Amino acid sequence: MGKFVQLVVDGLSTGSVYGALALAIVLVNQATGLINFAQGGMAVLAAYVTWWLTNHSVPLILAILISIALSFVFGAVVERWLMRRFERGDPDTAVVVTIGLLTLITGFCGWLWTYNNQQFPSLFPLRTVSFLGVSISIRSIGTTVVIVVAMILLQALFVRTKLGLALRAVAINPQSAAFSGLPVGRLLMVGWGLAAALGAVAAALVAPQLTLTPGMLDNALVYALAAVILGGLTSPVGVVVAAWIIGILENLAAVYVSFIGFDLKVAVPFILIFVVLIVRPQGLFGRKSVVRV
Amino acid sequence: MARGMTSPASPVWQRPWARWAGWLLLVVVLAVVPLVMTEFANETLARIGVYAVAVLGLNVVMGYAGQVSLGQIFFLGLGAYITAYGVQEEWNIVLVFVLACLIPAVVGLLVALAAARLGGLAIAMVTIALPIVGVPLAKRLSDFTGGSQGMSARFADAPEGSGLFDDQWVLYVVLIIGGIVFLLTRNLVRGKYGRAFAIVKGNENVASSMGISPYRYKVLAFTIASLIGGVSGFLYMAVIQYTSPETMSFGHSIQLVAAMVIGGAASIVGSLLGGAYYVLVPQLTNLVDPSLTALLQGALLLVVLFVLPGGLVSLPRALTRGRRRSRAGRGPVAPPTTPSTTTGSGTAAEEPETERQGHA
Amino acid sequence: MTLLELEDVTAFYGPVQVLDGVSLRVPDNGAVGILGANGAGKTTTLRAISGTVRAGGRIVFDGKDIRGLRPDQVAALGIAHVPEGRGTLGDLTVRDNLRVGAYLRKDGKAVDKDIEYCLDLFPNLKDRIGSNASALSGGEQQMLAVARAIMSKPRLLLLDEASLGLAPSTAKNVYDAIRRLRVESGIAMVVVEQNANLAFTLVDSATVLETGRNVLTGTSAELKGMDEIRRAYLGG
Repeated sequence: MGKFVQLVVDGLSTGSVYGALALAIVLVNQATGLINFAQGGMAVLAAYVTWWLTNHSVPLILAILISIALSFVFGAVVERWLMRRFERGDPDTAVVVTIGLLTLITGFCGWLWTYNNQQFPSLFPLRTVSFLGVSISIRSIGTTVVIVVAMILLQALFVRTKLGLALRAVAINPQSAAFSGLPVGRLLMVGWGLAAALGAVAAALVAPQLTLTPGMLDNALVYALAAVILGGLTSPVGVVVAAWIIGILENLAAVYVSFIGFDLKVAVPFILIFVVLIVRPQGLFGRKSVVRV
Repeated sequence: MARGMTSPASPVWQRPWARWAGWLLLVVVLAVVPLVMTEFANETLARIGVYAVAVLGLNVVMGYAGQVSLGQIFFLGLGAYITAYGVQEEWNIVLVFVLACLIPAVVGLLVALAAARLGGLAIAMVTIALPIVGVPLAKRLSDFTGGSQGMSARFADAPEGSGLFDDQWVLYVVLIIGGIVFLLTRNLVRGKYGRAFAIVKGNENVASSMGISPYRYKVLAFTIASLIGGVSGFLYMAVIQYTSPETMSFGHSIQLVAAMVIGGAASIVGSLLGGAYYVLVPQLTNLVDPSLTALLQGALLLVVLFVLPGGLVSLPRALTRGRRRSRAGRGPVAPPTTPSTTTGSGTAAEEPETERQGHA
Repeated sequence: MTLLELEDVTAFYGPVQVLDGVSLRVPDNGAVGILGANGAGKTTTLRAISGTVRAGGRIVFDGKDIRGLRPDQVAALGIAHVPEGRGTLGDLTVRDNLRVGAYLRKDGKAVDKDIEYCLDLFPNLKDRIGSNASALSGGEQQMLAVARAIMSKPRLLLLDEASLGLAPSTAKNVYDAIRRLRVESGIAMVVVEQNANLAFTLVDSATVLETGRNVLTGTSAELKGMDEIRRAYLGG
């Protein structure tokens, strides 16, 4: 029983990381209509910046905050100078551009900081705490809590602020929004910036566990995309819940289903997808999208 | 350009006899090349051939049918593993080849049946799982795959009486099998299936309103791509004689997509260029600075997408268009006729300087 | 005196020329109609004004050349465009749609008062204030679109086919409200309409377009009396 609870808590933690990435992907997709395959890569770059700062005696929390801010700027710059050209065209071409960006970022990190695994300082102590007779990792709880708080803040931004209203309007109908004076281009940059910042948070939290390397979030990206497929591109809540389910199930499957084990954990989300999608092609929460010719 | 029709004004290279002569010349060159080049050159050409076939397969589903697929390398790896296993078990080589075609095709079919239902970029999102799940799976099923160590298999040694060296024989095998695949694919994409793919790629709703089921054609394209991927895997084993889980890694998957785009999407010749890119460029960048390889490749992919989206194969076209433009001394090509005026006054009224803007 | 002036405006969609020398003058507080059949270039004229399509010629608003400005920049100058198809933000509530309309304003309390004014102008929207815009009927969406446009307190309103797809009585309601708006606020307007009868209840003058150029211009009184108009647009 204790093991089960541990696995669930740890699964919730990794699921939160996937969820953050998935949410970033959904955010970018709603704003600019494309899937950013470099979302994880951008987050890893932020983690490298954090790591580099801590190596130069910057306290960890400050380093993380700085890298979040820099990530925001980076995301905005990428939208304006790289992706803008491809946003109104074929989404498949835009995806290839993001794949190019991923290669570029991974290559950059590998060139500057080598492909070796680097030790990344942990924001949370590595102890466990005893709760109802079960020992639970503090890091897992902390990671989950921080990411959930970040998501709640993001949600509050979208629903309660003027900026959030503007972001939503631009995502729905950019041309109509422009008629009301909304600066569409600048708002798209903000959208990308927020997505990148969210990724930076997730990367800083998961790096101690995975160890820092340029390809650190490649696997996580796969999980995040699975969560997006399951949850539906139109449902932020859906993808987060799907991500948690994936995180928990893969942990449980790794231990309790002997064929899968730890190395084939990554197959779990896709088994899930095949099963769910045969019944509901639009995902668990998504709406069937209507496309006009 | 109508085939078989000549007009007095058509240039030399478009006349039918010229095209037959061109094909004949190509066949002669391909037959002679392995005999005159060095061993290293032959081996390099053979590798280019392997990846050209793989890129060709990717082009079918991604270039022509417009579905981003990150799983092509998986089918190459699968074909290679099937080949290696079959050779080790000493099965008939023809049977091995057939299996290397069929099994990846079936797997591809199953994946596509599920993924294509989702629409949008789902095929991209699902196919990313193939290399990522494929690598640990290959390590795990060590009875079939030799685990992390991989498997070696030699089966393409030159036959006793042929008088050929091994590298020459292998190159011939690649040229013949690859050539057949290229020809068949060329016919496919120039025929009605190719046209259907193009319509599905352009606008799925238009396609279904024309009675062309996007789902069916996406599945077809993906299955063909997987089959061709399997063939490339067979050739891979013939040339490289060793495969391991690393063969189908995520990094290689991305490199294949990059190679396709840089060579030229939706282009037969572009696939050849893509294969050449895949093999040659890493060798070049390694000479400059090995740790810079991924960075340069990413940058190159982005540059191509910005400046030359049709890939290297579209370079000649882009250059002639540029030259024509500068000769005309004006902006982009515009229809020469000005709109007819309805006033019909016929007087030599000064044409107002209407600027031509808003070009598609 | 002249709020908006178009002189010899041209526009292309790709290689196809849609506007071939359109001229228009809107006086302060004035309302000018653009009439004509489908494909005459009426909508494109509005798009040229709001910056949605690139145009040649002269477009001067309040003494300022606005050609080449982006749509959001044109909106910031005080021109509100209610597009064909309304452009309502379906996934947002009616209230949020109105708030979006007021995006450029900094006076929070006055915005709330203006929302009340809009609801008074278009009572149908009052019960629907919390619903998603996509749940509204065609007529209600049209009203919402106009309301959102006036939330920015524009000096010039561009109305594109406000009666399109609406039942005659609904269209009349919409135009009644817009007429009241004009009287109470003095907003200038450019009104594109296929239904000339309806247009003449609102505008002081109009121009008729045919294949991208003006073929007839005059006051409403003049045009209503002309045989050509009567035959072509008023049903004989």
